[in-house]
Amino acid sequence: KQQVRSYKYSPLTFLPLNLYEQFQRAANFFFLLIVVMQVCGSVSCSNLTAQTHFMCTTVCLCVCVCVCRGAVFVVCVSVCVVTVCMRVCVCADLLLLCSTEPHSLCFIETFRKQIIKLLPLLFPPTLSLSLPLLVSISCSFFSSAGVVWCEEPNGQLYSFQGKLHWKGQCHLLDSEHMLLRGTILRNTDTAYGLAIYTGSDTKILRNCGRLKVKKTQVERFLNKIVLSLLMVALLLAVGSGLFEHLISPRIEVLSGISANFPAAYRGFLTFWGYIILLSPAMPMSLYITFELIHIVHCLLIGWDLEMYWGKRNSPAQARATSLNEELGQVGHLLSDKTGTLTQNHLLFRQCCVAGHIYGIWNRFSCGGLLFSDQRLTNCLRERRCPESREFFTALALCHTVMSEWKDGLPRYQAASPDEEALVSAARELGWVFLSRTRDSLTLSELGFTHCYRLLALLDFTSKRRRMSVLVRNPEGELKLYCKGADIVILERLRKDSPHQESTEQALEVFAQRCLRTLCVAGRSVSEAQWTEWSHALSQAAMATTYRETLLEELYEHMEKDLMMLGVTAIEDRLQEGVPETICSLRRAGVKVWVLTGDKTETAVNVGYACKLMDPDTCLLQGEELRIRLHFSMCLQTELIKTPEAGARFVSLSNQCQSVLCCRVTPGQKAEVVQLVRKYSSSITMAIGDGANDVNMIKTAHIGVGLCGVEGSQAVQNADFALAQFSFLRRLLLVHGRWSYRRICSFLHYFLYKTTSFALVHIWYSLYNGFSAQPMYESWFIALYTIMYTSLPVKCLGFFEQDMSSESSLRWPEVYLAGQRHELLNPLSLGVALLYSIYTSIILFFLPMGVFQDSDLDYQTLAITVQTSAVFSVTVEIILQTKFWTKYNFAAVAFCLALYFLSTVILHSPRLFLAFPKDYIFFGTCVISLIDTEKA
Amino acid sequence: MKAGPSRTNRPDNTAFTQQRLPAWQPILSAGIVIPGFTLIGLAFIGVGVALFVTSQKITDLEIDYTGVAATSPCFKCTSFAAENCMCQMEFTLTTLFEGPVFFYYGLTSYYQNFRTYGVSKDGYQLSGDTYYFNNPQDSCAPYQYDSNNNPIVPCGSIANSMFSDTFQLYQVVNGMKKQVPLDGKGIAWWTDYNIKYSNPALVNGSFANAFSGTVKPVNWSKPVYELDPTDQANNGFLNQNFLVWMRQAALPKFQKLYGRIAEGDYAQGLPAGNYTLLINYSYPVISFGGTKKVVLSNVSWMGGKNQFLGIAYLVIGSLCIVMAMVMLIIYAKYKFTDDDEDM
Repeated sequence: KQQVRSYKYSPLTFLPLNLYEQFQRAANFFFLLIVVMQVCGSVSCSNLTAQTHFMCTTVCLCVCVCVCRGAVFVVCVSVCVVTVCMRVCVCADLLLLCSTEPHSLCFIETFRKQIIKLLPLLFPPTLSLSLPLLVSISCSFFSSAGVVWCEEPNGQLYSFQGKLHWKGQCHLLDSEHMLLRGTILRNTDTAYGLAIYTGSDTKILRNCGRLKVKKTQVERFLNKIVLSLLMVALLLAVGSGLFEHLISPRIEVLSGISANFPAAYRGFLTFWGYIILLSPAMPMSLYITFELIHIVHCLLIGWDLEMYWGKRNSPAQARATSLNEELGQVGHLLSDKTGTLTQNHLLFRQCCVAGHIYGIWNRFSCGGLLFSDQRLTNCLRERRCPESREFFTALALCHTVMSEWKDGLPRYQAASPDEEALVSAARELGWVFLSRTRDSLTLSELGFTHCYRLLALLDFTSKRRRMSVLVRNPEGELKLYCKGADIVILERLRKDSPHQESTEQALEVFAQRCLRTLCVAGRSVSEAQWTEWSHALSQAAMATTYRETLLEELYEHMEKDLMMLGVTAIEDRLQEGVPETICSLRRAGVKVWVLTGDKTETAVNVGYACKLMDPDTCLLQGEELRIRLHFSMCLQTELIKTPEAGARFVSLSNQCQSVLCCRVTPGQKAEVVQLVRKYSSSITMAIGDGANDVNMIKTAHIGVGLCGVEGSQAVQNADFALAQFSFLRRLLLVHGRWSYRRICSFLHYFLYKTTSFALVHIWYSLYNGFSAQPMYESWFIALYTIMYTSLPVKCLGFFEQDMSSESSLRWPEVYLAGQRHELLNPLSLGVALLYSIYTSIILFFLPMGVFQDSDLDYQTLAITVQTSAVFSVTVEIILQTKFWTKYNFAAVAFCLALYFLSTVILHSPRLFLAFPKDYIFFGTCVISLIDTEKA
Repeated sequence: MKAGPSRTNRPDNTAFTQQRLPAWQPILSAGIVIPGFTLIGLAFIGVGVALFVTSQKITDLEIDYTGVAATSPCFKCTSFAAENCMCQMEFTLTTLFEGPVFFYYGLTSYYQNFRTYGVSKDGYQLSGDTYYFNNPQDSCAPYQYDSNNNPIVPCGSIANSMFSDTFQLYQVVNGMKKQVPLDGKGIAWWTDYNIKYSNPALVNGSFANAFSGTVKPVNWSKPVYELDPTDQANNGFLNQNFLVWMRQAALPKFQKLYGRIAEGDYAQGLPAGNYTLLINYSYPVISFGGTKKVVLSNVSWMGGKNQFLGIAYLVIGSLCIVMAMVMLIIYAKYKFTDDDEDM
């Protein structure tokens, strides 16, 4: 029986695999070492093996979620034919064989939460296939030796290439035939598919990529501390070796104990002893508390009412739990335009047909009545102008919108809001797109229903930036309609295409009004041309290698000699509060870059509209920019890849108020982010809403996804999810700043409290022959970080506020401290370390002065030093805390009370009599604190 | 539970979730810090003066009897050949040494806080558990069994290295030696004497029988049940000198209480006059460069003589005052307008 495993860990492999991942962090390895040493009797200097908690990192959780998503009810019928039921998550990448729907169609909900239709390939429409029948079909499938060829497993979600040889025929397979793992079956009772990729080969899992453990600045510093602790332990071990070699042999009572071992071996043992004694300087609880504070900060982001968007019922969401402090240090904000700065609620505003601009620019329109122009309606009604008819036919045909009938009206479901806006506009003006089948489109043109046969659909890709349809109209003519970005269309126009000049003028006018433009063009195709082309197409489609490029060339061949039909102009209004947000972010020293695929003019106008640029800003564009950068070619991202040009570009941009990158593709967006990351030391943040921003969001230090119209893909890849661009202001200036300050104070204080406590052992070692004698009671060492001093610092990390949220928003300039790393840098950490060394010196040498040459014993010294340690770190947290909530008071009082109470309990005769070995300090606190008469 | 189709994700509006907890936000302005420093400084100086004066009042007398110098009376005892060597140290008190006087012995360069030394004992044995008399714990090694494989009681290095010098103090009155009684009772910790350590039960009415089958520690001259044959309450593991020794010293230079002089003629202290200290010298320290001494001292409310603590308080107190002055000068010179408003 064949089994496919699609989870990362099995019960057997969980431990080794997870441990391997965990120990890539130096500190974790260190902790393991400590635990082993503690257990190992010959070195252990405390009789406890406390602190053996295992850290559960978010890495682990993330994987688990991924696993759960895949494991849903699926019946395995035969070896590899899989049945999927309605509303069930598909478990593997399947080749769709058939479904119970008419025409064997199958609807799925993709990762983008869109419903799309898939085309089963093989079987004739079958009504209600029963299971036995299916088994027989699949048997016949295999008995007749069908063979599926497919490409190597890869992570490209939207492409698949394969072939199926069956019954002597060769069928071409592409992503339309695939039921991908993680998609959900909708509107279809049952679908049957052939498993192609399973387990970790599925596209979604391939696409997850390897989980990278992000190393932050803090972690690197902590690793350094671990290393220096090892060095100190080594030095002390050398001291121990020397002591054993030089001094101890002369002291009979000491040499007697260790006579059997050479000095070097004793030194070696002492090394491990000191590692245990110094390990509290870097306790596991630091990491645990650190994670805990991050999680609380994330919760606070989600709880913030002012980042809750009632219209969509969506609160802010922190999806990554380790980036909070970086929110307070963002230096570059790279933003998408469409859907991020704007609402992505598109309104068809104007159009230019045959050189005439129609549509009235009404700036007070609220979007109810989209478009009205008597001239155009008249023109259409009277059938005067064939171009305008063609124009709207093109709009109604050239798209990938699905129509769904509800209440007698067609409802459109589109992959992009642009398409929806265009098809809706055509509907309003009389060209109603009614329905679509696999090879036909039905339109109602001014009341007359026509059926167009769909011959070919030349897809839209972000690289081609256009799409075309080839249809046979009811009159039997072959027509190609093409729609795309202006430059792409303009260069493919026929030389003598009319209205070129006026169209270009119209384009400029639209751009100045911040409208998104698309050009629509068309041409007639002769039968001969079609036969030849379709033949070439089917051949190219058969090719297994370079199919993409071959197809592209063919498409190129078809999309030429076009006739300009018209230009559409769509308005996309700015979101609420965008200008204010950008304005205060700029005051906060954040460099805002806007990356957009739009034309330069549109981008510049949007820039002015959203206060990205002031009216008196000097614009550096094109040629000027080239001169400034001293390179002679057009500014393209390929060029910026060369190191010196990139550095120059970024350094120039640092002098600029803001940067607008126009006409960038999704890939280039990510490259720009990469560039900024590489040549500036600041933290980059990318914000976007659509699938085309995913790359950018993943590349930046912090990715923010807007839950927009364009599906949830951006959000799923982002570290933070917001509902509105304007919430960014609060996220950065309030939450980010607070997080940064809290985490910095937390780290400084935590390092202070643990190192000052642990380093005392260095000084004591000078007076105990480097013998790894602990300075404290072993219970105290175990409880110090996790009980006696843990709560106040957590309160500091949760509640500390140096400014109220209102003040932070009113004076964004205070945000600059984070960008300059003023609170957490090697210098400040070094100073904190020196301060803790100073404290440890005081902690040891003051009592030592008193105890020297007195009859006070070791246990009294231990109690004295540990009590003063608790007091000094408590005083320090009292000085550090600037925001005293009731919890802070309670925590400080509780921890002090806990210390005294537990010391009394641990020194009580009852515990000693029960476990004489573990409670050797019994009686000490009472005698040393009360009984002075004897001394 | 509301059973509505429109489940809202609206966050709770509480002071905690909206981070609007009421809080006290102290601002360390000059008006608080400068008087604060001055007050703390004054308090420290006060405590420091009290400690220092008290410490000055305490008299103590140290008598080093290591015998390194050839002129020392104890020099003769330093050679290995000398066994059961006695030596005498003379000293003179010109005024009354106020009582109660404590009698300490002190050692230097002696690492009683060495870790492996400190764990070299068997707590069960010392609490009188006879099972461990025959089976001492491994922590005692190599002082667990003697060369004939007999279990050692009390086992371990601490017990084995117990201080073995004994002292007798005489006042010389009219050429006659008059013994000054050294009270060795009540010098150990109450908890040690009453709870932590206890003797085994008598076997057949004999204390020594309880230790049958065991041998004394290698360095000891007599077994543990003969430490004080005159007083059963001070014998065996409950011998007060033994208990004092078993309590590890904090630092390599330490003193341990030997006895108190608080009885009879000497209840008010040691009167002026000549004294003789008779030492049974047997504990070797010269091999590792250590010294031995006897300390006579009286105590106050703050314990034994210790000037360090008083001086430390004085230094820190004056530092605070100096800091307050510096801050005051800076404040007076660059008066910040904001501070004025605060005050």
